[in-house]
Amino acid sequence: MRRIGAALVSLVAFLVVWKLATIIGGYPEFILPAPEVVVERGARAIASGVLWEHTGATVLEVALGFTAGATVAVLTGIALGKSVLVERVLSPYIVAAQAVPILALAPLLDIWFGGGLLARVVICALIVFFPIAIATMVGIRSTDPLLDEMLRSLGAGPAQRTRLLEIPSALPVIFGGLRVGVTLAVIGAVVAEWAGASIGLGVLINIANQGLFDTPLMFVALAVLAGIGLAFYGLVVLVERRLVSR
Amino acid sequence: MTHATRRTTDALDVRLDDVTVRFGAARDELTAVAGLSLEVPAGSFTVVIGPNGCGKSTLLRLVAGLLAPASGDVRVGGNAPAAGDGRVGLAFQQPRLVPWRSTLDNVALPLELAGATAEERRDRATDALERVGLATAGRLRPRELSGGMAQRAALARALIGDPAVLLLDEPFSALDALTRETFDAELQRLWLDRRRTVILVTHSVAEAVRLADRVVVMTPRPGRVARLVSVDLPRPRPVDLTGDPRGAALAAEVRSTLAESHADELRPWSGPEATV
Repeated sequence: MRRIGAALVSLVAFLVVWKLATIIGGYPEFILPAPEVVVERGARAIASGVLWEHTGATVLEVALGFTAGATVAVLTGIALGKSVLVERVLSPYIVAAQAVPILALAPLLDIWFGGGLLARVVICALIVFFPIAIATMVGIRSTDPLLDEMLRSLGAGPAQRTRLLEIPSALPVIFGGLRVGVTLAVIGAVVAEWAGASIGLGVLINIANQGLFDTPLMFVALAVLAGIGLAFYGLVVLVERRLVSR
Repeated sequence: MTHATRRTTDALDVRLDDVTVRFGAARDELTAVAGLSLEVPAGSFTVVIGPNGCGKSTLLRLVAGLLAPASGDVRVGGNAPAAGDGRVGLAFQQPRLVPWRSTLDNVALPLELAGATAEERRDRATDALERVGLATAGRLRPRELSGGMAQRAALARALIGDPAVLLLDEPFSALDALTRETFDAELQRLWLDRRRTVILVTHSVAEAVRLADRVVVMTPRPGRVARLVSVDLPRPRPVDLTGDPRGAALAAEVRSTLAESHADELRPWSGPEATV
């Protein structure tokens, strides 16, 4: 109850500061619209069904991209953590791929993967991959060597040690990576949409911003994106609470 | 049912023949044991004692099949040991319980790795916990156990497969003196009930004389056997042997052998050399 209260107070304070800024600054609507203008614009966008369409497309991309990226990242992270050879061979490519701006890569990936949903999921998965893979590698390596020796003394093979010891003990660190990754997934989805999509909140931002000069609508899209990020983050935290018990 | 499925392996003898173990490579190479030969009769209680770094733990890891010798031969019941073959149980200085498993699931871990059914695991782990006096602690997490309880759980885990050979690497050294004496007495009782081969590593002369049929005194690194001292005191032995003239004499013998074997380290800190 107290937590919800604190969140509510901070939300109200945020809205008050925003409203004051528009009053004191007296900005035109296309630079900084007042909160109630944005809310009103949002209500119209919902009523016309436009917002649902775009939101649905982005949520699907985030969900698929995050799931795919996280799955590949955890598996890769385990391999990186267990084998020095795998790390030596793979890590230059992984780091290089991360260092190249995704904004520059996205149009190319869009062409390679056919420009449809698959292309956007791949772009999203790529941006999600790095923090989760690295977190998993670090987590796997932090396994207590005394427990590992204990399991070996009981005849546990590499696969059994991974299942019974390495993954469970890496789990808190892996979830740290998942928390970072899931917020990046939202960015990845928008970047992917900018690279070539006809639907999604990234597209809506472009239309509102460059086509219609409809800044209130852009704010609506940004607010929904933030909401998607919070919701997915909350989902990860919820799963984490279930799985990590210490 | 549980007792029918339990292995009733007889005790096995352990032999080490001219064993050398090296760690590291090239310039950083370290010879842990060299020319180590030892025969441990089946069903005997052997205590290994020696200075720090003399290879006592290495000896146990060889017998447990965790480590292969660079040269020489290690045999348990005539065969080369292999980790997880069920003939050897090993308890470490630290309890090494998996923190996210219940005490019961920790104790059952060897059976789980061996592919036992959930029912058999639960029954036999409950049984093993009872034997070490932890009947009511099965549901607790390791962090909820005291140091002594955790070490008893680790002992239950080592005993659950009913191994022919039990290896104990300073299992009670982190416990306070009184608890340790109690645990020694309980360990003796467990062994008198079921005469498996026991090799226990310790730093304590008193503990060695209290428990052993035979004390193996090792040399400093590279470790080998400096001397064997037979302890033919009647059992069950009392916790405190200081009042017993024969016990005191044996303790003195073990102590003097230890002192000879690493005289360098035992030189007084404030001797003439220290003032140079």
